[in-house]
Amino acid sequence: MANAHASPVLKHHFEDLGQQHACERLGMWMFLATEILFFGGLFAAYTIYRMLYPHEFEIASSFMDRKIATVNTVFLITSSLTMTLAIRCAKLGDRAGLIRNLILTVALGTAFMVMKGFEYAHEFHENLAPGKLFRAEYAKATESVAKLSPAAAAEYFKADAASAHPAHAHWAAELALKNKAGADEVVDSGKVQMFLCFYFVMTGIHGIHIIVGLGCILWLVYEAATGGIPPENYSTVEVVSLYWHLVDAIWLFLMPLLYLAGAGMGH
Amino acid sequence: MSDPHNTTPTADDPHGVRKDLDGTGLLLVVFVAVLGLALANVGISMKMGPTKYTLVVQMAIATVQAGLVAYYFMHLRHGDKVVILTALSSLFWMGILFVLFMADYLTRFWVVG
Repeated sequence: MANAHASPVLKHHFEDLGQQHACERLGMWMFLATEILFFGGLFAAYTIYRMLYPHEFEIASSFMDRKIATVNTVFLITSSLTMTLAIRCAKLGDRAGLIRNLILTVALGTAFMVMKGFEYAHEFHENLAPGKLFRAEYAKATESVAKLSPAAAAEYFKADAASAHPAHAHWAAELALKNKAGADEVVDSGKVQMFLCFYFVMTGIHGIHIIVGLGCILWLVYEAATGGIPPENYSTVEVVSLYWHLVDAIWLFLMPLLYLAGAGMGH
Repeated sequence: MSDPHNTTPTADDPHGVRKDLDGTGLLLVVFVAVLGLALANVGISMKMGPTKYTLVVQMAIATVQAGLVAYYFMHLRHGDKVVILTALSSLFWMGILFVLFMADYLTRFWVVG
């Protein structure tokens, strides 16, 4: 039936455009299934460690920047909308609308990565990164109040935080203070670093997926601008959008697991 | 459920690609719902604090959000059977991953006998 309306978009090994589009969608969904399993491994590992060290994971999560994460969530969800609108424009043959929505999606995705960059920079500036940086910052805070009573230590950190150039990062002061109050180490700093490992690996891999998605969408912009996406080739936009939405959906789980686990703890 | 071969050409749509065209109104409603749930998740988490139910509530909200994204934005509502099967198979395999992991870690401290 569709052969009566043959299109240069139709590849010779497909019967008609309907079959070609269905195969393209199926191929992308099969790839997405492997992506879901890839992130599934990380989510499973996170689940085990959170189950083993719930207290440390909640405290470590409370050190994360929820404001940036919330703004980033808004960026990603909005970018999913513009991406879906781009498919609609492609189907309607509205090339200007298609390019406009794709560029908006790229802008929102880029804004997400820029915010993420600021967030990482702030965390490294505060030495809130597992390994040497963390250990040195935490040891400095612990040693500063080693000979003080818990009440005097609290006063010391309060005065330090209020000064123009605080000597201690907020998180290190808080952790040192929590462990000062108990006879043994109440919060295991090693397990806090374990959370940070998950945080950097999961958000890092997610960020790489965003960058790949942005590259694909920029390619779509080029194709659309050069007339490579007529209405019957809308599925090219659709398969990229499937990938983009999956990356968005994964963020919807990362957000509560990494940023909201310690929400409402008074930071 | 649509048949991928069942395209209906018309004068202004010779390749029948507008059959499953999304309405902008519907897309905006889904967008507002997903965004609202995201903000609700932040608000509820801040109010609840870390309790034993917080994670359950957070994951329930995220699952509804992901469901809306998959069903409307990822077009599963227009999906062929084989596409829906592929999407569900990823959840099935992830279920196996979690069940086997948990069967090990949740039972390690059990005392037998």
